[in-house]
Formats: sequence, C-alpha cells, structure tokens
Amino acid sequence: MKKIMIVDDEPGVLYTVKTGLEALDDSYEVITVESGKECLDHLEEANPDLIILDLMMPGMSGWTTYDKIRDQEKWQKTPIIFLTARTDDIAKRAGNFLAEDYLEKPVDVMVIKERIEKLMNKNKEK
Amino acid sequence: MKTYLSLSLKLTLIVVAVSASVIFSLTLYNINDQSISFENIYVDKAKDTAAALEIFRNETITNTSFPAAINSIQEQNNDSIEYIHFFEKKQDNIILAHSTNSSEYDGNHDEYVLLSMNESKIVKITSSNTKKITVIAPGFSSTNQSFAYEFSYLTTDAYQILQQRSTNLFLISGASLFILIFSVLFLLRHTIVKPIIQFRDAAKIFGKGNLQTRIPLSSNDELGELADAFNTMAEDLEKSRETLEEYNKILERLIDQKDAFIGQLGHDLKNPLQPLIGLLPILIQQEKDPKMKEHLKVMNENAQYMKELIFKTLELAKLRTEKISFEFDKLPLSETVDRVITTQKPMLEKNNISISNLIPKNIFMYADTLRLQEVFKNLITNAVKYTPDNGGKISISAKEKKDYVQVSITDTGIGMSKEQIKKIFDEFYRADSSTHGQDSVGLGLSITKRIIEKHNGKIWAESNGKDKGSTFHFTLPKKGEKNQ
Repeated sequence: MKKIMIVDDEPGVLYTVKTGLEALDDSYEVITVESGKECLDHLEEANPDLIILDLMMPGMSGWTTYDKIRDQEKWQKTPIIFLTARTDDIAKRAGNFLAEDYLEKPVDVMVIKERIEKLMNKNKEK
Repeated sequence: MKTYLSLSLKLTLIVVAVSASVIFSLTLYNINDQSISFENIYVDKAKDTAAALEIFRNETITNTSFPAAINSIQEQNNDSIEYIHFFEKKQDNIILAHSTNSSEYDGNHDEYVLLSMNESKIVKITSSNTKKITVIAPGFSSTNQSFAYEFSYLTTDAYQILQQRSTNLFLISGASLFILIFSVLFLLRHTIVKPIIQFRDAAKIFGKGNLQTRIPLSSNDELGELADAFNTMAEDLEKSRETLEEYNKILERLIDQKDAFIGQLGHDLKNPLQPLIGLLPILIQQEKDPKMKEHLKVMNENAQYMKELIFKTLELAKLRTEKISFEFDKLPLSETVDRVITTQKPMLEKNNISISNLIPKNIFMYADTLRLQEVFKNLITNAVKYTPDNGGKISISAKEKKDYVQVSITDTGIGMSKEQIKKIFDEFYRADSSTHGQDSVGLGLSITKRIIEKHNGKIWAESNGKDKGSTFHFTLPKKGEKNQ
C-alpha cells in the first residue's frame, strides 16, 4: 500500500489525482486535503509515504507548509513533489530544488505516477 | 563639406567692406580736393608772376633786361622758381624767346602753350621724387594773345605738408572706420545675433523635450514676432503633449488591465483542463473498445492543444510586460545548442530529420539560460514543422561579429514566400494552415522574437522561395551587464 497525501485548494486537482492514481494502481491510497493547515493537522493521522504539495494556496503557502513539514524530524525524509501553475515561482528558488521535485499544472496523472515511483525507489535505496 | 560661417563673422565682413569703401572713398575724394586747391595756388602764383613780368616786358623787351627782371622776381618769390620760359607767337610758329634754363624746354609744349595763351593752366606735375609743378600763364591781356610764360616751381615743402595732411586724414578715417565698425557690430550683435542665438538655444533645449522653454524677447520687429510665434507653438505643443501623456497613462492602465486579465484568464482556464489532462491518458490506456479509444485520443489531442495554447498565450502576455526579469549569464553557445538538441532528439528521429550543430566551441553570449534554450527549441520545432519527413536537414551555425553573435538555423524545408516572411513573426500566424497539431499553436516564433528583443537582439528570416528551405537568423549581444 502506497499512501499519498495531496494538498491543493483546487477540488479539480484533488479529484483528478485521487481518481487517476487509484484507477491506475490498486495499491495507491490517496488522502486529499485542501490547505496547508489541514495538511499539518492530518499529517500524523494520515502518515503518508509521499506528499504532493501545491505551491500557490490561499492562507498558508506551499513554501511555508513545506518548511513546517520539514521542521518535524519524522517528516524530514518523506519525498515531496511540488505542484505549480507557474514555472517562474520555481525558478526563483531553483537553487534549492531539483527539477524532479516539481510538476507543472495541469498535470498528467501518469506522469505523477512515474515521478512518485522514481522518488520512492530512490528513497528506498538510501 | 559645408564650411560653418557664423552670422557674426558674415555681418562683420559685410560691415567692414561697406564702411571701408565708404570711408576710403570719402577720404580719397577729400585728398583729391585738397590737392586741387593746392595746385590752384600755383596757378594763381603763376598769374601774378606773369603780370609782374609783363611790366618789364613792355618796358624793355631785350634779351638782357628780361633775365634780369626774372632774377629779381625769383629773388622776391618765396617759392623757388626753377625756371621760366617765355614763349612768343609769331605767325604759326611758337618761339621760345627767353629762358632761365633752356635745357628744360623739350619743344613739345606747342599745343598747350597755344591753348593757354589766354588761360593759366597746370601743364605738368612731375613725379613725387622731383616734386615740381609746371604752370603756363598768359603773357598779355586777352587782346593780344602772343605771349605765354611757363613757370616751373619746386614744391618740396608744400608737397610734404600735403602728404602729411593726407596721412593724417588716412589715420583719422582709419580710426573712425574702426569705431564705426565696432559700433555697428555692437548694434547688430545686440539686435540680431543675440536674439538669434537665443532662438537657437531655445530650439535646442526644446528639441531635447523641455517643452516649457520660452523665448523672453519683446522687440517691435520681425524677431519679436518670431519669438511670439515660437512661444505660441511651444505652448500648443506642451498642451498636446500633456494630452498625449494622459492618453498614454490610460493606455498603460488598459494594457496592465489586459495583462492582468490574461493572467487571470489563463489561470482560470488551466483549472478546468486539469481533469482532462490528468485523466484522459489513463482512460486511453484502460479503454478496451478500439472505437472508444480513438474518440478518447481525439479528445486528448484537443485537450493538449488547448493546454499549449493557454501556456503560450500566457507566456507571450508575460513577455510583453516590462516587469519580467531575465537572468543574464555568459553562456557557451555550442553547449547550449547541444543540450536543446538532446531534448529534441525523439521528435527529430520521429520526423526522420537530421540536425548538425556547426557552432565553434569558443563562442559565448550573454543570455538568460532558460529563455535561450526556449529560443533554440522553438526554432528547431519550427524547422521540423516545415520540413517534410523524408530525410530533411537542419544546421545551426554562428558567426562572431564585433559586439554580437549572429546565429543561423537553416532547414531544407518547404521555404517561404516574401509575403510569408513578412508575417512569420505575427501572433497565431501559420505558414501552412494545414499544419495542425499540438505543437502548432502559432505562437512559437512570436515568443522567440520577444525573447530575442528582450535580450537587445534582432531576429529575421530568409528563404529562396518555395521548397528551397528557410533560414532564421538572430543576434545576441556578446558582452553585457549581468543584471541581478
């Protein structure tokens, strides 16, 4: 069972990723949350293997959410994929992240799946 | 080349020429006048002397008594008489009867002696070296015209005085010429040249965009009218510029609103696309019915096309705003092209098109890495799009110029007509309207052009015509400030 948590304020994105991933592979369980705050609140309870995080959200932004997740020791190694509607946001902080860490919206779920598997395998090797 | 002659210089030349000719002709006239009156003194003297001699001649006309008389007259006379000839008319012959110095008589005086039998006249003014004046005076009353005297006076002192006077006159006229020239020039400078310089300076400042410039000149002449006309024009222009600036502000605000609108619209258009882009590939993969699968593929293609259209439109809108910032780096050109070619390999192989990078390794240019890669990607995609997939070739080369690098991308494709070349960089323009795929939104070259222009470069296209291939050239600065 692969537990994926997706954080996005767009219901369309949450629906697409959840439906798509679960349709592609029975072993996926996708937990959807609609804000950074909700993500932090449910993190312990959901216990995801990987987090997909939208960068542009009202309230707590993706960057803040990312920092708050990483602040907790338990979640320091959990792979995180950023979703963004604007590539130039990424370019600003490109120095800190690899290209494989983010995907541009609208995303193809098959591409998400490939990326998830790549990152999780890499994590296993460590 | 046209030589620059300042107005002051021209006016000076004119004033000098006019005043000099006026003053000097007046002076010369004056000197001439003086010398005539000076000469008349000798004519009078000659008359007096002649009258005195007549008394002697009437008493005793002898060769001995006459010279004695002459001598006594000469002694009485302050002016030194050099010689006196006495002419006597007998029948038609003129005879020199007596002379104090016969050697002076050259025998050629016949004519003017005849003329002067009843009239005193200067017959000869010798050169300035000898300074002599020779006067003929009638020897008898008008009833008897048989005698005439010729007196030759030595005039050295008198001439010297006359010369001194002339010199003085020249000096005085020279000085007054000087004063005249300077006062006329001073007047001209203040009434004409200075206002004209004011006009020139005002026009220069005005031309630089300072529309508040006015000419503070009030004179009741044409220059005053000119200043008024200038000031009125300046006021009108200032007003119309203000109006234009207002319009410009409105336009800028509208453009900002438009960009914000496109940005928002693009963002809002992306969201509903998410389920289509996200799920259609999965549906295609999982659909068993081949007919349904085909339908889904068409849907997917259109969704992808829509996505491309939205992305490119957003990018173009973004490139149009001044706010966008580029990060300039010194980039090795050949390596950059290699990197783009690698990402484009699958597409090139699919279309059976070969590509060669002919750029020398040592060429560098200042550009934003990601944007430059996009330029190459767009130009290669464009070349592939218009090159039939039967072994076409694309080559990329570059030349270094003084301040910039010129890159050329040549293909062996369908080429372009002159009309097509003109429109090729227009938004949504497609050289071949039948080409219609997900890569063919028609914005790639517009985006490329904007990127190049943001780098202070130029882009243009060339083609020898239909089926003769196309070449796209662009230039980028070789050196540049690293901004940010």
